[in-house]
Amino acid sequence: MSIYKHTYRAYTGKVTPIRARILAIARYGLAEAWSAKFTTVLFVICLVPLVGFLFTIYLSNNPAARLLMGNAGSRVLIIDGSFFLKVLTTQSWMAMALASWIAPRLITLDLVDNALPILLSHPISRFGYVLGKYVALFATLSTVTWVPCLLLFAYQGYISPVPWAASNVRIAFGMLTGAVIWIALISLLGLALSSWVKWRIVATGVIFAAILVPAGVGAIVTGVLRTRWGFLLNLPVMMSSLWDRLLGVQGHMDHLTQLPTAAIVTMLALTCCLSIVMLNARIRAREVVRG
Amino acid sequence: MNNLIVFENVSKFYGEVLGVNRVSLTIPPGITTLVGPNGSGKTTLMNLLTGLVQPSSGSISVMGLSSRDADKFFATVGYCTQFDFFPRGITGWQFLLDSLMLYGMSKATAIQLADEALQRVQLDKTAARRKIDGYSKGMRQKIRLAQAIAHRPRVLVLDEPLNGLDPLARSESMALFEELGRQGIHLIISSHILDEVDRISDRVVLITGGYLIAEGNIRQVRQEVREKPMQVLVRCDHPEALASKMFAMNHCVEARIHPDGKGIFLRTGDIDQFYSILNEIATEGIVKIEAVAPADDDANAIYQYLIGSEGGTL
Amino acid sequence: MGTIELDALEVRLGGRTILNGLSGVLRGQAIGLLGPNGAGKSTLINTLLGFHRASSGTARIFGLDTYRDRAQIRSGIGYMPENDSFIGNMSGVRFVRFMAELAGLPSAEALERAHEALFYVGLGEVRYRKVNSYSLGMKQLIKLAQALAHGPRLLILDEPTNGLDPIARQRMIQLIQEIRKEGSVRLLISSHLLRDIDETCDEVLILKGGRIADLCNIEEERRSNRSFMELETVGATETFSVSIRGLGCECACFPGGRIKLVLPEHIEARDLYRIASEQKVQIRRMHVRRDSLEDIFLRAMDSEGERSAHVHL
Repeated sequence: MSIYKHTYRAYTGKVTPIRARILAIARYGLAEAWSAKFTTVLFVICLVPLVGFLFTIYLSNNPAARLLMGNAGSRVLIIDGSFFLKVLTTQSWMAMALASWIAPRLITLDLVDNALPILLSHPISRFGYVLGKYVALFATLSTVTWVPCLLLFAYQGYISPVPWAASNVRIAFGMLTGAVIWIALISLLGLALSSWVKWRIVATGVIFAAILVPAGVGAIVTGVLRTRWGFLLNLPVMMSSLWDRLLGVQGHMDHLTQLPTAAIVTMLALTCCLSIVMLNARIRAREVVRG
Repeated sequence: MNNLIVFENVSKFYGEVLGVNRVSLTIPPGITTLVGPNGSGKTTLMNLLTGLVQPSSGSISVMGLSSRDADKFFATVGYCTQFDFFPRGITGWQFLLDSLMLYGMSKATAIQLADEALQRVQLDKTAARRKIDGYSKGMRQKIRLAQAIAHRPRVLVLDEPLNGLDPLARSESMALFEELGRQGIHLIISSHILDEVDRISDRVVLITGGYLIAEGNIRQVRQEVREKPMQVLVRCDHPEALASKMFAMNHCVEARIHPDGKGIFLRTGDIDQFYSILNEIATEGIVKIEAVAPADDDANAIYQYLIGSEGGTL
Repeated sequence: MGTIELDALEVRLGGRTILNGLSGVLRGQAIGLLGPNGAGKSTLINTLLGFHRASSGTARIFGLDTYRDRAQIRSGIGYMPENDSFIGNMSGVRFVRFMAELAGLPSAEALERAHEALFYVGLGEVRYRKVNSYSLGMKQLIKLAQALAHGPRLLILDEPTNGLDPIARQRMIQLIQEIRKEGSVRLLISSHLLRDIDETCDEVLILKGGRIADLCNIEEERRSNRSFMELETVGATETFSVSIRGLGCECACFPGGRIKLVLPEHIEARDLYRIASEQKVQIRRMHVRRDSLEDIFLRAMDSEGERSAHVHL
């Protein structure tokens, strides 16, 4: 036969398991997120503080440097829980900025052109879809939070003349747990808020607002009503307290105004539930109109 | 009996961009022409053939050799590209000599082969000693061709080799190709000039959008395009009489009288029967036949029917 | 086992019953879905895709329950929605490849089949541009390409010729007919355009007000014996029709010289021509009509005493 007709042909090859499909969502989501140049810029900015921290660790362990810095040195250059608390806090704020930029790129780009009916008509459930996006965001944020934090910890352990790592393992675990809790939370929150907003820039703003506005309100409540429960709305403050406790650092807050851990954890869980509810409402193949 | 070039289910992707997809092809010795619109994958096929690019999947074997045995492979294949770039400041002779010496032969052999090559492409020796920068387009084509044939390859891949040549040079080059084809060399030529394709090719390969559409002898391919029955132009004095006789024999699917009234286009589903019926009618003598010519038995028709219709792409 | 089986299917949404007890077995190679706006076509399609859960009764595709086994069903379905639905920021190839991967194809195969599907529907170099730069026709084609890429067993096309110019529409119909001819894919086509359904489908499901108004096989209808004839005449039409009645045909006259008549067994067209030449009437058009889709549809709409306002020909 000399002429080749290219007609439709059926597919008879193998079919991939569900986890490969979820990973496909993560992969393509990341590719979309990184297709903007600003993402790279932002990512690099997030890593910049680490350079400073790295340098500090180096100086602190370098006898010559300590000698030079004299008295000031002994205050600034101590590598202990508070130092790593600073690292964790800085990187977590960086992660928040990154999340507020990436989360909209992951979700809003799909929603803007109504891709959900076609997406969900494939063998991927709503849960699988959100999980894929979540994994993508969580992985990206990990690379700016606990991964470099633990690396700094390892570096300190390595460069320190005295055996330091073994006695300070609590710091490592504290950073890991603290970072994971934070990025788990803001990933979920970021995705949820992005699914409700149509424009990406607005979504970025909304994510910031969602964290800072209640914080402001909480501060007002605390100030006016002279109660510590106002801080329950204040996500940054709550996280700080949590981190303090995880890292075993003496909090800089007044004993009276400190919140019990249980309350903090409950608030965080509530925020997660709220995010899940929001996602459930918006990630649907079909809007159901009531009445 | 390993004188075939075989493509086995070959695909080439450049990232997500398609080069060619699932091409299976067997090329015997002789002249095979690649025909297709721009961007259809012809250059990709040629690059795959010459080993400049490796397939994403599938395998290519050139007379039993694969492009992984680089030494033997590259000595067997000669490539004349369509791109007009040469090293600066070099003379034609020097260019030819350098290309030959890259094959690891001695200078004496190289000089002899270079001489031979220049003779075959009919490029003047004195012209060869001038700098390429000063060559006309035709001369540049010739020197490229010379470089491709100089090391006596058994496979010649030529990308639009007649581009820029004047009519005399064209016919000389075509004569050269036919000569090489007769010697049992595989020539793979890509061309847009379909009547030249008709004249010298033994086989034609049609490709579009990265997919192989048809391959084989031109007449054979034409006959297989069943949706379009073959059309023949018969010039005679009573075209209506001829038409009614053809219809009476149940043989024509369409008859159209030529605008000048002295000929008729007849379309038929069975070309062999048609010609035998025409014999009988001519013998009867009622209709005086002046000329008979197939109206669409050529590469142009195949192109229109197969690619022209696919070319409703966006 | 039919392609789609409905058993007293009831679907309630937002407090209202949209689909009210649908029962039937659809076995055709290409099934058409017709009905006026609000009849429940979209809801039925969404139910079949597993987006809605039946409040009572069942719906099955290839024997699998549409809600319980929806993951399994979805790997064998290709869906071409009516509205715009794509990821605008991706190139055409990437989008189709992504969808193919989500359907369960490994990455390399997905790329190959994406290109094949795009070649098949006729999207050439355009496939490398971002989807949000496409024209309407191209967007329709890319939706079809992504539905085909993974080789589904059932293709669900919702208004496939929506917004297409005549040439593009012709091409889309041709593609659908080719797919149908190939044989390995069943089709479910929902459309407002009777001509589209007529040209492509062999079985038709007509919905009205959430119930089935008719379920019939067009192929069989076409082969049936009932024949009407339509004539367009110029001349003394009135006398002509009187004479025909005299022969024993039932006929009805319409303005513009149009006559519809039922030919009984013993009368041939030749008899009509004899009368026509006697009365110097020209028969300009003669047309034997089997019960066409239009008749079936109008009958279905009429059966409950209401007229549909949204029928196009």
